[in-house]
Amino acid sequence: MADIMETPGDFDIHGASLSRRGFIGAGGVLLVMLGLPAGRANAQTNSLDAAKPASWIEIHADSTVTMRTGKCDFGQSSIYTAYRQIVAEELGMGVEAITTVIAGDTDRTPDGGGTFGLLRNASVNMRKAAAYTREAVLELAAQRFGVARSALSISKGVISGGGKSATYGELISGQTLRLTIPVEGSLTDFRGLVVTGNPPMKNPKDYTEVGKPILNPIIAPKVSGKTQWVGDVKLPNMLHARVIHPATLGSTLVAAGKLDPAQYPGARLVQVGNLLAVVSPDEWQAVQAAQVVAADTKWSDWAALPTSEKLANHLRTKVDWSIVPPTKGASKGDTATPAARHHSGAYFMPFLKHAPIGPSVSLADVRPDGSVMLHTHTQNAQFLRAAIAKMLSVGEDKVVIRTYPGPGHFGRSNGGNAGSEDEAVLLSRALGVPVRVQWMRHDDMGWSTQSSAMVADIAIGLGPDGRMLTYQATHSGPPMQDDRPIGALLAGLPTISAPTPDNPSPIHTAKMGIADRWIYGAVPHVSETGRGTFQIGEHESPLKVGLRDHSMRTPIQFQQNFPREVAISEAAMLAGKDALQFRIDHTEDPRVRAVLERLRVESGWDNRPSPAAKAKGAKVLRGRGVSMMLRDNGYWACAAFLAVTPATGEVKVERMVLVADPGIVVNPLQLRRQAQAGCLMGISEALHEEVSFDTGAVTSLDWSTYPILTAAEMPDLKVVIAPYAGADVYGQGSESANALAAPAMAGAFLDATGRPARRIPLRPEYVKAMLA
Amino acid sequence: MPKLTVNGQSREVKASPDTPLLYVLRGELEVMTPKFGCGLAQCGACSVLVDGEEMRACITPIGSLDGKEVTTVDGLPARWSKQKGLAHNPDRLHPVQQAWVDEQVPQCGICQFGMMIKVTELLEHNPKPSDADIKAALTTSGPSPHLCRCASYAAILDGAHRAAKLMAGEA
Ligand code: FES
Ligand code: FES
Repeated sequence: MADIMETPGDFDIHGASLSRRGFIGAGGVLLVMLGLPAGRANAQTNSLDAAKPASWIEIHADSTVTMRTGKCDFGQSSIYTAYRQIVAEELGMGVEAITTVIAGDTDRTPDGGGTFGLLRNASVNMRKAAAYTREAVLELAAQRFGVARSALSISKGVISGGGKSATYGELISGQTLRLTIPVEGSLTDFRGLVVTGNPPMKNPKDYTEVGKPILNPIIAPKVSGKTQWVGDVKLPNMLHARVIHPATLGSTLVAAGKLDPAQYPGARLVQVGNLLAVVSPDEWQAVQAAQVVAADTKWSDWAALPTSEKLANHLRTKVDWSIVPPTKGASKGDTATPAARHHSGAYFMPFLKHAPIGPSVSLADVRPDGSVMLHTHTQNAQFLRAAIAKMLSVGEDKVVIRTYPGPGHFGRSNGGNAGSEDEAVLLSRALGVPVRVQWMRHDDMGWSTQSSAMVADIAIGLGPDGRMLTYQATHSGPPMQDDRPIGALLAGLPTISAPTPDNPSPIHTAKMGIADRWIYGAVPHVSETGRGTFQIGEHESPLKVGLRDHSMRTPIQFQQNFPREVAISEAAMLAGKDALQFRIDHTEDPRVRAVLERLRVESGWDNRPSPAAKAKGAKVLRGRGVSMMLRDNGYWACAAFLAVTPATGEVKVERMVLVADPGIVVNPLQLRRQAQAGCLMGISEALHEEVSFDTGAVTSLDWSTYPILTAAEMPDLKVVIAPYAGADVYGQGSESANALAAPAMAGAFLDATGRPARRIPLRPEYVKAMLA
Repeated sequence: MPKLTVNGQSREVKASPDTPLLYVLRGELEVMTPKFGCGLAQCGACSVLVDGEEMRACITPIGSLDGKEVTTVDGLPARWSKQKGLAHNPDRLHPVQQAWVDEQVPQCGICQFGMMIKVTELLEHNPKPSDADIKAALTTSGPSPHLCRCASYAAILDGAHRAAKLMAGEA
């Protein structure tokens, strides 16, 4: 065509390459593409429609920008707020110029990777892509203005130098420009692609967009009802499915129940191995028919779980911890060094449920040519794509994942194993029509992954001066990354391997790493050990299912931080020292100290040893506790103020204060909301949550058997964001806030009652046992 | 065949009388804002107003709603316009929705359709609620507490207070 012509000459931009692919009559665009290492360019990108741009950043002639990310949103807001701010910042534009964010769809986004560490890790991709883009546009401007690159400056999307100036749009107008940036990794891997190289980045002290409290643009369409949620997607000829899950986590199908066609005309029973479902064009009919069939279905008996009552004992005495090699955390000195006084305690964290308010729901369309279109709410769309392709033994090029807003699930579907996706695919393949699988509440509670249970043994030796001399901890539990799709397991189809010690995928190891960063550097003798095992019941289950676990919020770190922080509070009491001051006295990190000092002021902390003085005959005991966590370069501390009624075992949280030095605050408004909600969810876990199970199955199947926090239980809550001035890393929001509630509350319980709370939840029956 | 008013429109329903309202709204009438959360009247994700009173659509049979007026979050702007005698404006939100944007209430947002319905019900009866009134409305006034797994309760309280101000013309 006459108006498009190739022009010779690529420009090197700090290792990226800019090419002018043609001049077009009107418009103009700069696309930022991937430069995949030679040899693996095609197979994995096949489902990217080459006709549509899948660039990271696309700059248009009107100076608006579209950005694309494979990450998703389930309430964090980051990809619609912080990511736009970060990209705008590096480009030198106002954040309002980033008008469109395309997220999570495997055929429309470039990078893949799971939705975790959104600001800490994943944002680096967008930031570098934007920095390369800015440098490329500076190159264009230098050529256009006839001045050196060093003579140019950018402000609010306008590039100026040598007395001339032009907007981004003007510089690219009339051209199609492609900037190819270097990446490494694999698109459908757990971590996705990583942008490499070192383009010059803007100095944080010159930031204008990062740090603004911008609103989350997806909230208005959500509250006005315009957003299409994953559960709202419909397709022509779609059938509604309800899955009838086995009676236990190890039962196989003996005989499917009868479906009466006279009573449920249009409904059909479908079986793929041990995956049994009822489908119907009418959703309510599917619900009713599935109930009737389920009651009439025979499953084999299975009883190999230890029960939730005996779980702690099982972990302590029945698991062979010698099979999976141990790991080491902080280690220095000799913890056998004799001490003057000793604290030792055995701690327990139960299984927790992610428990999204909406149970898992997906819609799959497997076409006659074997291609799959899956509409879902995943956390790692490209990794889910790989899991579906593996299950069906087809190429990844056959599978497209579309991602929609859905209920917050706090980490569960890292690998797309939230639940209903693979079941929908198998049912659609069997029936040749689109199938929507909506899990019921009991499916979600009974068959989703959980957050791992853990036990810890901690011994602290105090010197004659009352300071910690030795600290020794052993953390033991099942691993938290089981990415095997449940439908594939039930149908007996291929999956990646369950967590094992020698798993080729390092994240799927059965080894227990030490995830809680040690912050008490002044303790001379320290030894931390992690001991892993397999998923509980997995080896015994004919389905190879058992209690599958998957990451939740601060996976592993929460389970290790709780015992550590409670033990430190207990050691402080033993030493006759104030719990907050005791922490300050044992740290060498000025940021730990600063956060704790600030917490002391913000919470009105009264400096004194525990326990609190009791008024004679008091029916309600009050106390305060403190906890501290270092995660992703973010320093978080929490103070909890509790009231305990020993007669009833009731624990009430009266006040919580959080202080955070999270690094660079990208969006203070969203960070505050995230921190508030994260902290309240932490209170929920500490007060109420524990997965109950019998010898075969989960018995926490609804909100009465798995209660969570209500509005009435919300305490007075104060969040203080106090970033350290020299920070150069972006701060995450709600994760640490979530983890810190439980150990602070247990510290407050110790202060109020003089008795340790070495487990959660602080339910009346456990509290009474602790005080007995 | 039950006939009811949904968001101001008269609708005839084909589903059998025992079908819960939630399945009729989402399946037959294409009203998608009430969400499925539990199907057990335990969470409030499916809440709607029936003649101004908050009810759980997941357990309310359509046969019991003949002649009733159902309002979902989609219908809140028109409800407000009617109550205030305002001219139709497609861009106007109900003050509760506007407050939810202003205060950036939702995290994931799945529970917020029920939360906004409950707070609308509260404010129509009690235009200036205290913290305790709001907490009670969300916890003890219905068949179960309105649950938010993201635990956005602090934001919901801020949102409810702001909505009260917007409704009173004070903000
Ligand atoms: S879905 Fe109706 S109350 Fe939960
Ligand atoms: S905002 Fe996610 S459940 Fe309430």
